[in-house]
Parts: sequence; C-alpha cells; structure tokens
Amino acid sequence: MHSLEPELRSLHAEGVIDDATAARALVRDRGQVFSLHTELRVTLYAGVLLVMAGVGIVLARNLERIGPIAIVLAVALVAVACAIPAVRAKLAGRALTVTSDYLLLLAVLLGSANLAYAERQFTLLGPWWSWHLLLLAVVHAAVAYAFGSPLVLAASLTALAGWFGVGGTLGDALQFSYTSPELGARALVCAAVIAAWRYVDRRTRPDTRFSDVFDHFATNLAFWGTITWCLEWPWLAAGLPLLAALSYASVLRGLNAGREAFLVYGVGYAAIGLCAAVLPRIHGITPSLGFALVVVSVAAATLWQLRRRLRAPVP
Amino acid sequence: MSRWRPTPAEERWLEVVSALGAALPRDALVTRTGGWRSTGLLARVALFVLGFVAAALLFGILGLGNRINLLVAGLIAVLVAEWLTVRKRLHASGIEEGLGVAGFLLIGAWITTLIPPGADLLGAPPHTLVLVAAAGAAGFRRLNSLVTTCAAILFVHWVGSTTVAHSLDQAIGRGVTALALGCALAALALALGARAFRRPSHDRMLDWLVITLPIAAYAQHATWNFVAGGIVDVAAPSGRLATSVLLLALGTALLVAGLRRRRHAPLLGFMGCVACLAVELRLNTALATETWLVLCGLAALFTGVALARYLRQPRNGLTSAALTDRDDPLDLLQTAGAALLAQRTAQDLSSPEPTFTPGGGRFGGGGASGSY
Repeated sequence: MHSLEPELRSLHAEGVIDDATAARALVRDRGQVFSLHTELRVTLYAGVLLVMAGVGIVLARNLERIGPIAIVLAVALVAVACAIPAVRAKLAGRALTVTSDYLLLLAVLLGSANLAYAERQFTLLGPWWSWHLLLLAVVHAAVAYAFGSPLVLAASLTALAGWFGVGGTLGDALQFSYTSPELGARALVCAAVIAAWRYVDRRTRPDTRFSDVFDHFATNLAFWGTITWCLEWPWLAAGLPLLAALSYASVLRGLNAGREAFLVYGVGYAAIGLCAAVLPRIHGITPSLGFALVVVSVAAATLWQLRRRLRAPVP
Repeated sequence: MSRWRPTPAEERWLEVVSALGAALPRDALVTRTGGWRSTGLLARVALFVLGFVAAALLFGILGLGNRINLLVAGLIAVLVAEWLTVRKRLHASGIEEGLGVAGFLLIGAWITTLIPPGADLLGAPPHTLVLVAAAGAAGFRRLNSLVTTCAAILFVHWVGSTTVAHSLDQAIGRGVTALALGCALAALALALGARAFRRPSHDRMLDWLVITLPIAAYAQHATWNFVAGGIVDVAAPSGRLATSVLLLALGTALLVAGLRRRRHAPLLGFMGCVACLAVELRLNTALATETWLVLCGLAALFTGVALARYLRQPRNGLTSAALTDRDDPLDLLQTAGAALLAQRTAQDLSSPEPTFTPGGGRFGGGGASGSY
C-alpha cells in the first residue's frame, strides 16, 4: 500500500491546492472515507444479469408446466415489485439511488421479456410484430423520463435501434452482405432520430442527465452506418465524406466538452472506416498491410496530440 | 532522474496528478513529474491497441513465412517503444506500451522457434513459459499491471498442464493444483500488498493479481470440468471440497483485508471468489440452471440493496455514495451494459417463433430485422 500523504501535504503547504481539496484528498488517501459505490454497482449489475438470464430460461422451458397466462402474470408481478423502490423515491421527491435505478432497469427488462413472451405465445399484433420494439422504446422512454433514469433510457434507445434493424455491435454493421448499405442507411437514420431527440431533450430540460447517453448512442450508430457505407461502391462516395465529417464533429465535441471518449470515437472509427474503404481495393498483402500500418500510425499520433489538448489535465 | 522510466518519486507525483484531476492547476507539477507525459484511460487503451496492431502489421509486412522476421519485427517494435520513452518521455500512454509488449512477445515467439520439436519441461511444452517470461519482462519494463497479470495467469495455466500437476490432480481432484497455485499467488500478492511500496505501479500489479488470479484459476478449473464431459459429476468429491475450502479461505482473507486496508482490489477479489463459490454450488447440487441463476441474481440484488441501505449514512468511514462526480469510465461501461441487457430482450422480439400463427405472417413493417 502506498500513501501519497507527503506529496499532498507538500502541495498544500506550497499553496498549489486549497484547504478543501487537500482535506478531501488526505481523507481519501488515508482511507478515513471509503466508498463501496463501485462494488455496489458491480453487484447490482450482476444481479440484474443473472435474474434476466434465469427468467429467459424459465420462459423458454416451463411453458407446459406453468402455462403462459400464469407466466405472464408472475413476471409482470415481479416487474411491478422491482419498480416499487423507484416509485417510492419518486413519490417522496427524491432522486433515484443506484439501487432503485438498477431495480427499475430490472423491472423494465422483465417487462420487455414478458412482452416478448406474450407476443410469441399470442401473436398479439400478428404480422405487425416488429412494431413491438417501437412500442418498447416509447414505453421505456416514458419510464426513463418519469424517473430520470439514464439506464432505462439506454434500454429505450437499444429497443429503438432494434426497431430500425440495427444490431448492438460494430460486427453487425460490418456484415458483408447485399443488405449492408441499407443497414447503414437505417443506422444513420436511427442516429439522426436520436440526435434530434437529444436536441429536443436539451432544449426542453436544460438540466437533463440524458445527454451523454444520447451522445454515445448517436455517435456509435452514425459511425457504424457510415463504415457500412464505406464497404461498397457507389455508397463509398457518400460514406467517405460523411466519415470525415462525423470524425471532425466527434473530435470537436470531445475537445469542447472535455470528453476523451469522443476523441477515441473520432480517431478510431476514422481509421477503421478508411481501412474498410481502401484495403479491399489494394492488391497484394504487403501494400495492404503497409497502408494499414500508415493509417494506424497516423491515428495513434493524432489521438495522442488531440488528447494532449483536452482540458482534463494529464501529466 | 532516469531516462528509461520515471523514478519512484516522479511516479508518485504522476499519481498525484491523476488523483487530483482538475483540482490541480494545469502543468503545476511538470518539473516534479520529470517531464513524463501520460494520457487518459480510454485514450491509453486505444493507443495500446493501435501500438499492438502496428507491431503485428510490421511483422506481416516483413513476411509471415520467415521465422527470423519475428525477431526483426520484435526488435523494431521494442526500439520504437524505447525511443518514444527516452526521447518523447512517454509513460503509461498506451502507444509505447502496445509496441513494447508486442515487441517482447514477437521476440519470445522467435525464441520458441529455436526450441526443438517435442521438447518438454515437466511434461509441458516450454513454449508457453517463454511467452510468460516475455510478457512478464514487458510488463515490468513498462510497469504495466495488465501485462504482468496476463503473464501470471498464463503461468498458472502452464503449471496446470505439467505432469507434476496432473499427478497431484489425480490425488486431489482435476485442476485443483492450478487453482491452489492461483489462490496461493493471490494470497501472496495480498500479503505483499500490506507493505508500503514507493512505486504506485507495484501496488497496482499486486492489486490486479488479487482481483483476477482466483477467478482466472477457477475458470481454468471449471473448463476442466466442462471439457471432461459433464457439469456435475466430473471432479472427485475431495476435489470439490478442496476447491470450496480454498475459495472460502481466500475469499474470507480478501474480505477482511479489503475492509481493514480500505482497498478496492481485495473486495473485488472477494466478489470473484463468491462468484466462483456460486458456480461450485451449481456443480455440487441438482439445482436447475434457471433456479440457480435466479437465486444467485436475487442474492446479489438483496445484498446490494441491504448494503446500500446500511451505508446510506457513512459508518466507520464506509459509504455507498460516490465520492467524486468526475467523469468515470464505469459510467460508460454501465450504459453499455444496460444496452447489452436490453439488446438480448430485443433479440427475443426480433425473431419470433410463435407456437401458433393465426395470420401466418413472417415479416411486417418497421424494417426491423435486416434480413428479408
């Protein structure tokens, strides 16, 4: 165990840091105040993950034994029970704690699983089943706004992306099939919708906590869509300029807001997109690898320089 | 002042800059940090990947077919990393770490080509040990706890594959030797963690061992069980008992040390041990998988709720509240995790297989699936 107390005292004595900063830092360094917030989040996330995995198997395996109506009712009941702490906090005018936030997420996910199960069993909307995802996105968004939960908003945006037919990973966007450009277009439209939603949210609620969630979703979806366009001609003609514009916007956002993640997005996705666009058109392994090496080297140098310009201090 | 890496004093000042963040005036400590330059966590990860990929690409350009190119590419990567360190004074900035680690591994891979085919050390191929040594050397050179931890995990894996370990396993249960070694190394790291180190990076190396070794060694042990063709009835009862006792003893020690020292690493290691014990419970009982999952999940949720309520008001300095509102990479992970959970549910909706289909419809509107 190391202690930084001598260094902190020295900084305080020289007047580099004020009394309050020094006191806070010393208390934390000595362990006089110790937060279990991280451990709590990990535990709660693991709990939600395990329960959802278990419920998924229950829904798949125990249909005959229990019956679909009973399953739907039981899961709905558990979902409502999970939402109680959040409802109580809301009624008392308190902000959500980390616990009630995760329980609310569990409630929402149970609701989703229940809806999926009910749709499978009863085909409530028949051939219009895919609209359930939009319905879920709307319901989750309503819950997120009612309780001020960024976690539930993430679930809502995921459902929205699912309704647009966009998977949750870059690998989904990079699938080499004839539907790729269309998939890219859908991802871009979805990103535009989320960006518009963010704009309205920001305008109507200046103290919103949702902007970060919107930003991450919109940025990733936009880049995935653009990279998908970079794979095929003639979409490439639009994909490359769009990639440049998005990278510029992302880096600008990172520099202005002091957010390192957006610098990484801007530089990283630009490198991936450039390689995706150019490498299939270079013949021979050595020139291909040489081009990739140049791109990687330039990306690393650019990211390093940009990170140095961030407001958040680094050594 | 060293040209090759920060002195312990400089590294401590670097740690102060990192801990105080925006509370510290920019460039206030440039002289005390020896002019060493670093970067943030996300950029460091990205730069590490880019450096590693660059070294791999270099090897590809030189030619995959010739063994000597492993050495040439490795030396070039290491030299570039050293140049970045000495000339540009980069420390823990990712790029020189990625290049350095990849360089050491390429050199290690070249050394393995010199080993005669069929050579063995204690009944296991020595190639892995060479790579362990290369990764360990790179980790110590770069003071990188992730790389030293990977080397330690690989070492435990190698020990588990030796004939000595197999002989012991026959007596005490399959995979228990490697698990015992992993737990012993974690316990040793825990004990060493009580000492006052000058370099914060040495503390971090021990912390990572404490967090990862029990769960990594157990994962190897669990793989043994699955590979051998069953989940429940593979390990001998004595092996199962030894596993449970080891995890229980280590977990208890980690919990006590974590609470006493007020350190996150032992507590996270304790949580890993609890997760392993939960898997053992599944292996040793006839619980249905879904029952086990739901019970474990509920136990985790109840524990979380109880802990949060108990520590709502700080008790003896312990609190469940966040101590800082600084930008936390865990927030990004949390958002990604929530999206991942939601995506699984959304996937259920994306490919319905109704038990009866009144309309017989396959695909409706919304453009939802990406395939027609």
